Formats: sequence, C-alpha cells, structure tokens
Amino acid sequence: MIFVLAAPAAAGSVARVIVPLPEGSGNGLEVTLTVTGIPVGGIVETIPDGYTWVGCDHPDDRTRVSGQNVAFAVIDEEAIRYRVQGPPEAGEAFTGTWEDLQTGESGVVGSDGPRNSGQAAQATVPSTPGFGYAAALAALAMICARRCGR
Amino acid sequence: MTRKLLLLVCCTFLLVGTAAAEAIPCDRDGNGTLTSSELAAAILDSLDARFMGGTVEAPSPVDLRDAAFIYEHWDGRALTITDSSGRATTLTRPLRRIALFNSDTLDMLRSLGLEPDRVVGVSKYVLEDPVFYPEYQGKANLGSIWSPDYEQAASIHPDAVFLYATLSESSCADIEKTLRSIDPGIRFFRFDGYRPATYAEEARTLGLLLGKEEEARRFLSFHRNVTGTVAGVVDAIPAEDRVSVYLESWHDYKSAGKGSGYDEKIELAGGRNIFGENPVEYPVVDPEAVISRNPDVIVKIVGAGELAFGGYGDDDRSSFETVCRTIGNRPVWDRISAVRDGRVHIIHSDVIGGPEYFIGTAYLAKWFYPDLFTDLDPRAVHQQYLEEFQHLDYDLDEHGTFVYPA
Repeated sequence: MIFVLAAPAAAGSVARVIVPLPEGSGNGLEVTLTVTGIPVGGIVETIPDGYTWVGCDHPDDRTRVSGQNVAFAVIDEEAIRYRVQGPPEAGEAFTGTWEDLQTGESGVVGSDGPRNSGQAAQATVPSTPGFGYAAALAALAMICARRCGR
Repeated sequence: MTRKLLLLVCCTFLLVGTAAAEAIPCDRDGNGTLTSSELAAAILDSLDARFMGGTVEAPSPVDLRDAAFIYEHWDGRALTITDSSGRATTLTRPLRRIALFNSDTLDMLRSLGLEPDRVVGVSKYVLEDPVFYPEYQGKANLGSIWSPDYEQAASIHPDAVFLYATLSESSCADIEKTLRSIDPGIRFFRFDGYRPATYAEEARTLGLLLGKEEEARRFLSFHRNVTGTVAGVVDAIPAEDRVSVYLESWHDYKSAGKGSGYDEKIELAGGRNIFGENPVEYPVVDPEAVISRNPDVIVKIVGAGELAFGGYGDDDRSSFETVCRTIGNRPVWDRISAVRDGRVHIIHSDVIGGPEYFIGTAYLAKWFYPDLFTDLDPRAVHQQYLEEFQHLDYDLDEHGTFVYPA
C-alpha cells in the first residue's frame, strides 16, 4: 500500500531570551526574540505590569506600542531586541504570540513550534487565521505566570 | 427606467469588483508595488485591531495573507506569467483554489510541494487512482477533458483551472470557453507536464506562480542530475554507433513516428528509432518492416488498452514476463537481433509517458548501453522521486511493476 508522507514543512517559532540591562544602563531588562522560519509575520508581546517600554532595535515603522502591548511586524528579520525598565527578576512573566502570514501558523513565543497549523485555512477564507488559539494559550500562560509569581 | 437603473447598478458593481480584484492587497498608495513599509503597516494595523484594542481600519485576514505572499514571492508586484500555450496572464493575488483537468500537471505541482488544500478539484483519473493520489481522494470530480463536468467545476468556485497545452487542444478550448462564460473571473493556465522539451521551463513557471521557487529549483536539480547524466554519455556516441530501437505501444505493431513523444525519448536515451522517419506520429507498422530493419533493442510499453496492468497498483510481475515472451514468439521474429540477444524490454507507461518520463529515459539508456551506464540506477532514481518529491511512502522493492526484466 501507499501512504502520503508528511511534506517537509518549515515550521516557525519564536524564542525569547531575557537578560538584565548592563550596569550603568538603569534598572531593566533586554529581551531578544529569535525568529525562525517566519519570513513574513507578526509578534505581539505583553510586557508585565510594573515594566515600562524603553525602546528597541526594530525599525520604527515595524513596531507599535500600546500600553503593555507591543506589536512587531516581521519581514525577513531573524532577531528583535527590545528594552524595558523595571525590576530585573520577573522575566518569566513576559508573554507573547506569533503568526506566520504565509502558512497561517501561529504559536506562543518561547514554545518549540507552532500550536496552530494554518494549512486547513489555505483553501478557504478564514475569518481570523492563526492568532485565536495562540492568543488563548498566551492568555492562559500569562495568567499562570502571574499567579505563580505571587 | 427601473430596469435600466438596475442594469447600471449591476454594471457599476461589476466594474468596482473587477477593479478591486486587480489591485494588489495592502498597496496603500495604489502604485502597483507593495513596499515593505506598506506591508509592515498592514501587519501592525491587523495586530493592533485584534490584540491591542486599536480602532484603526485593518486589512482583512485574506488581504494580509495575500499581501505577505506577493511581497515574499513576487517582489511586491503583480506577476505576469506565460504558460505553455504562449498566453500571458497577470495575477495580483496568489492562487488558492486550483482545479486541474490535467493530472500530469498535478504530479508536477506535487513535486513542487503544493499543499493539497490549495487544490479543490481534480480529473476523474486522479480519483480512480487512490494508490498514487491518496491525498486527493474526496476532491471534486471534474470528469475529464473529453467529458468535463461543468456543473461540478463551477460549483467549487476555482480561481484557476489548469488544462493541457498541446494535448486535445480543442477539448481544452471548449472547457475554457464554457467555464469562462459561467465565471469570467476564473484564470486558465495551459501546461503539459510531460513533454521533455518544455518540462523544466514549466516547473520553473509553476514554481513562480505558486510561490514554490526554491522547491522548483530543488526538483529541477534532481531532474537535471538524471537527464544530464544520460545526455553526458549518449551525446558522445556517434550517430552510426547508436543502437537501433523498435518501440511498440500497448497496441501490437503501433510504433512511434517522427516527432512523437516516444521518438523524442528514444533519442534522449541515445537510441535510433527505426521508424523515426515515418511522418505519422504513431504509425501501425508491418511486422515484416520490423524484421527487415532488425533492431538491436525492442521496447514494449504496457499500462493501457489490452495491456492495462502493472504500475503502482499492481504487484504481480508475471504479466510483464508473458508480454516479453509473446514478442519473442512472434513468427520469424527470432531472426531479429533484439530477440536473439535477449534485448526485449517491457516498460510501464507510468514511467515513460508522463511526468516521470526521465525515469523511463534512464531505463532506456541503461538498456541501450549497459556498459556505459553501470553506475546509473533508474530504480533508485524512481524511489527518490516518489519519496522526496511525490511525498509517497512506497517501496519499489515490495510494490509496483514498472519494467521487465527488472
């Protein structure tokens, strides 16, 4: 008999590394997002309460800040670095989601790969591809992180 | 008056719809080029509206996805491609709902890694072959180019329909004309998917059209490796030293004439077709003519007509052996060098008549010049094609019947 092999898919992911700002740079953290396999997509990061946005190395026209949320448009970038001001010990409370606009896949920043495959949406017209499931996971992660941090 | 007004309104809507369909999504200044800034703004607006409580007007998910595709694969511009019929088509959106009457092009699209979800309809031959096309079972049945199911084809609302470029041109033209009258928005593309002369260019064009440029490069590298290996050896063989070949289709004594696909494949493999000067594409020849031309090699094709066996769905190899023996037993054919020397070979049409022609050509070359192709392993080429490019878990050691002697 014959079976279809899984076609090699370049599954995307976004990893997050958080380090304290160097001495002399003030109280805060530097967050590095490493983007893999997402040529065109978006990332929404939620900065924990108690932190304030300082800036990033991502182009201004690809970054939007609103309250504790920061959106990044990803177009062929492999890394995004941003800085926040606040206590240096609550790094695990950062949450975020990502979306690959080509494949429709989405996932949670810091997890190994996509949590929601967009393949099924390719031939149809989805209402909101990708982000729904990942956003729910991110919200759960944020709640968990906040509770665990208490 | 009311009817005129209604007509005017309808025309206005049609014009607006057409204009909207031709614009590149998220190209805010409408200059025909989607820049990185425009794409970034569209992405941020979408994220803002969905996750950050923004009230800015965001692009629809479909527009955003299409814009990402156009930016990444078409440099942010409309794509104009020329198909194998010579027709140029300009696209401002990627193809998401593809209908194929041409199963050979479907094989090529599979080699390029096309996601099956982008295909909404296939020919009846694809649905009749669940062994080779397992992932397409359940797709809409479009019938065939000779007996198309227009109702079904229209009901699936394809954005593109693929037809043959040079096979049954009038039937394909009829399909195009009828479907266009039902839905003027459908784009039509003509590709063959099986002709050596246009095969590589078709793969490149399809790769660009579907955003599979890198996959097309990878597949063509594999294809070129096989065809180049054969050509590199046989090109050096002088015309007078080339083996003479009698090729016969599944109909007894029906051979291949000048300019036919099989004539081309014999030549690619370094052979000399004994009926290569016959002006009829597929002539029925006199058995005496075969005897008098005394070919060095005989190649018999099976897989259709009265010899509809073998291929992917048939593991019984005995039928091939019977066909081979029958040819040797034809009256007076024991005088032919090919029969005397045991150089009668059977090959299934799956690996010589369609998109896998280069696998069959490798077999022919090895049969024609065994001493020159000791390192060429057509079966390994076939296995790699199935696993790496057709994404099928199919072990040729256990399944299928394609050539005899193996």
